[in-house]
Amino acid sequence: MGIIEIRDLCYTYPGAAQPTLNHVNLTVEQGDFLAIVGNNGCGKSTLCKVLNGLIPHFITGQFSGEVTVSGQNTLESDVGTLARKVGYVYQDFENQIVRPTVLDDASYACLNYGMTDYLDQGRRALAQCGLQGREEEYVWQLSGGQTHLLALAGAVALGPDILILDEPIAQLDPGHADRIYGVLRELNETYGKTILVIEHHTEYIADFCKHVLLLKDGQVSWMLPARQALARVEELQSCNIFPPQVTQAAHALRERGLLPAGTELPTTVEEGKAAFAPLARKTALPHPAAMPRDHGPEAAALQGVTVSYRSVKGEPRVVFDKLDLSLYKGEKIALIGSNGAGKSTLMKLLVGLLRPKEGTVALNGTPLRDTKPEQLSRLISLVYQNPEEMFIKDSIEGDIAYAMQVRGVENWPEKTQALLERFRLTELAQRDGRLLSGGQMRRASLAIGVALNPGILLLDEPTANLDIATRREILRTLNEMKEITETVLIATHDMQLVCEWAQRIIVLCGGKVVADGTRDEIFGNTELAARVGIRPPEIFAMGRALDEKALCYTVPEFLSQFEGADA
Amino acid sequence: MMQKLSENILDKFSMDFLRSQVLKNAYGNNDTVIAARDPRVLLAWYLFFGLVPWFVQDMTFLLGCFVLVMITTLLARVAGLVLLLFGVGVFSQTGYLLLVTWLFGGDASAIMPLLILTLKVATISLASVTVFSGLDPDRLANGLMWYGCPERLSFSISYAYRILPMLMEEFQNVLLSYRLRGNPPAHDTFAGKVRYLAYQVKIIMYAFYPLMLNTAKRSRTTVEALEIRGYRYAATNKEVRRIKLAGLRLTWDDGIFAALSLLWVAATLLLGTLV
Repeated sequence: MGIIEIRDLCYTYPGAAQPTLNHVNLTVEQGDFLAIVGNNGCGKSTLCKVLNGLIPHFITGQFSGEVTVSGQNTLESDVGTLARKVGYVYQDFENQIVRPTVLDDASYACLNYGMTDYLDQGRRALAQCGLQGREEEYVWQLSGGQTHLLALAGAVALGPDILILDEPIAQLDPGHADRIYGVLRELNETYGKTILVIEHHTEYIADFCKHVLLLKDGQVSWMLPARQALARVEELQSCNIFPPQVTQAAHALRERGLLPAGTELPTTVEEGKAAFAPLARKTALPHPAAMPRDHGPEAAALQGVTVSYRSVKGEPRVVFDKLDLSLYKGEKIALIGSNGAGKSTLMKLLVGLLRPKEGTVALNGTPLRDTKPEQLSRLISLVYQNPEEMFIKDSIEGDIAYAMQVRGVENWPEKTQALLERFRLTELAQRDGRLLSGGQMRRASLAIGVALNPGILLLDEPTANLDIATRREILRTLNEMKEITETVLIATHDMQLVCEWAQRIIVLCGGKVVADGTRDEIFGNTELAARVGIRPPEIFAMGRALDEKALCYTVPEFLSQFEGADA
Repeated sequence: MMQKLSENILDKFSMDFLRSQVLKNAYGNNDTVIAARDPRVLLAWYLFFGLVPWFVQDMTFLLGCFVLVMITTLLARVAGLVLLLFGVGVFSQTGYLLLVTWLFGGDASAIMPLLILTLKVATISLASVTVFSGLDPDRLANGLMWYGCPERLSFSISYAYRILPMLMEEFQNVLLSYRLRGNPPAHDTFAGKVRYLAYQVKIIMYAFYPLMLNTAKRSRTTVEALEIRGYRYAATNKEVRRIKLAGLRLTWDDGIFAALSLLWVAATLLLGTLV
């Protein structure tokens, strides 16, 4: 018998017309590392909440069927008992942390359940999650990745057999994401925990997970070993899940008869090396157009900018020390670098939210100091990482109209309608932005950002927290926007976005611009990528593993280079 | 020059500044003499200096208490903003009366009672400042719990400090949305300045609406997480309370602190009878 047994589970949320989980049957073996995949709204999170008893003990609704976790029937148990068997880490994990210091938070649950050695339990959990030495730190001093590890430690402290993580790496740069998965692997292999992750990043599934479960419309489609599962390219894509790029490329090549029909599709770069070995790269390739070196007039400039943040104790933290940077009109720029490299700070400087301690920030040649923030809005606009904070009215129509309305822009009602149309929001015009789905929220925030037709548009992580299908949709929107916005700067960890969209890439590391150039210049420089912890898309690594000179950033580019014949 | 100054003040008084002051106040000074005291001793101490001055009219005693709480406030290294608020508070309560009476030639018979009242208010406020901002919120919560306050109250205190910085950051971002997208009235003339001020106040009020909704959205996860992490379970369990309070320990230094305060009060009383 497995550690998790689900028999004929049906569940309907209170007030919902359709059941969210519909006759689910599932067995998970002890020690598994299972990825749960599926479309948005297919019931992934609901299934996980059934396992820790939140459903039906805390969230009511219609529940039928039988769920057994570690031999305990969840209906006959309570949330407290189940919490010691199943640890849960939310997607918005920062809201899960309720105590001010690291050790306090890690041991909080143990204290609540009356364990006298709660501090030792907390320390042990922190060590297992790689946070030893940070026990006395305050939670707001931690980076995003560390905060996630703390949320994980809080769950691990109770010593559960099963750990469930809802999209653990959605907001993290690759370095932190690797660290999270490293910790999870350790917990799985060394401490024998059974791990369930809801995950969209199939590259990580290929590298770390043992099995994959596909949920479709509240039902289990199948559960298969990871490699077999990821090879079902068409089926996954029909559910808006995109297999690793290596697998996609191999699948396309097999379709075209360039790989033998029966071959097992590779899922990682290592496997790809063997599978693609017989293919030769076309040598005579048209060289991609380099970035035009003659750029337009300066749109924004930072000169000798020094910024530091106050800290609760001790010396202020210096983010930038004498930073110089120019952005030119018409450029499409990606700003990359690990968490905490200063990307958001740079954007805050440009919109005048932060003032530099030294140096000047100028837009179109005029120093920001002489411009009021309210007058700035026609020059520059910022779309926050968290779209909720952009919704200040009770409908997205009102939000998009607001800036034009208060300025008495001519024909603002028509312009609002046009924007709603353009961003495919007309149907949702009267809804409150906060209640929309992730992708709709993001589109609405983009529409708000471009409403005043600013010369420079700044986007902070426009694809964070979105599943791959929605990311593609946003990427499409961004490409469509190229014609209506002049200069765009995107801060992001999403390297596929960088490769497919940006013309110029600026790499920040430790508050300094360490590289600035085209994608070939940035990603082609292996030493640089290793030093600042940026990682090109998987297909790029695959191409280079086959041929050092191959620089391909997308699956179609890879195909055209390695296909031999027609492109 | 004047404009530069006012700009500078506004610059300093940003949300970012408030946030850092709140954090500093709560956690930035946990290595002071006051922060190291047992919260139970400090609360008892506060009970004396927060209540007794109301009922005593003796000038020497009040002055003595005032000096003592001033010393403890300095020892607690309270954040500047709190002290500023204290100053404004005392002045707006009684200080202005004192000043006006004195300016318009009130004699000693009018000034003395006002001076005494101001001293009382100042002493009590400074005693509160010492205890509530000198102690870190968790120790304060534990102290309150020892005196029998419900667990929910003590949890609220420490959770408020956990969530306050997040709320302020969110509020700052919502305000920024208004600032970037709004269109405030011009403020070159005096009438314009008044309108501008009214506009600012209006925006701050409007900004609460999105803030509340965003907070409600966030708290969905927090509520579930608290349930999983046994918050409700702990609230009814006596054993958990005992474990939590086991961390409180009286030391010799606490005794010395209490004795010194007592000695000081006795000395001022003695001085009062001598004068």
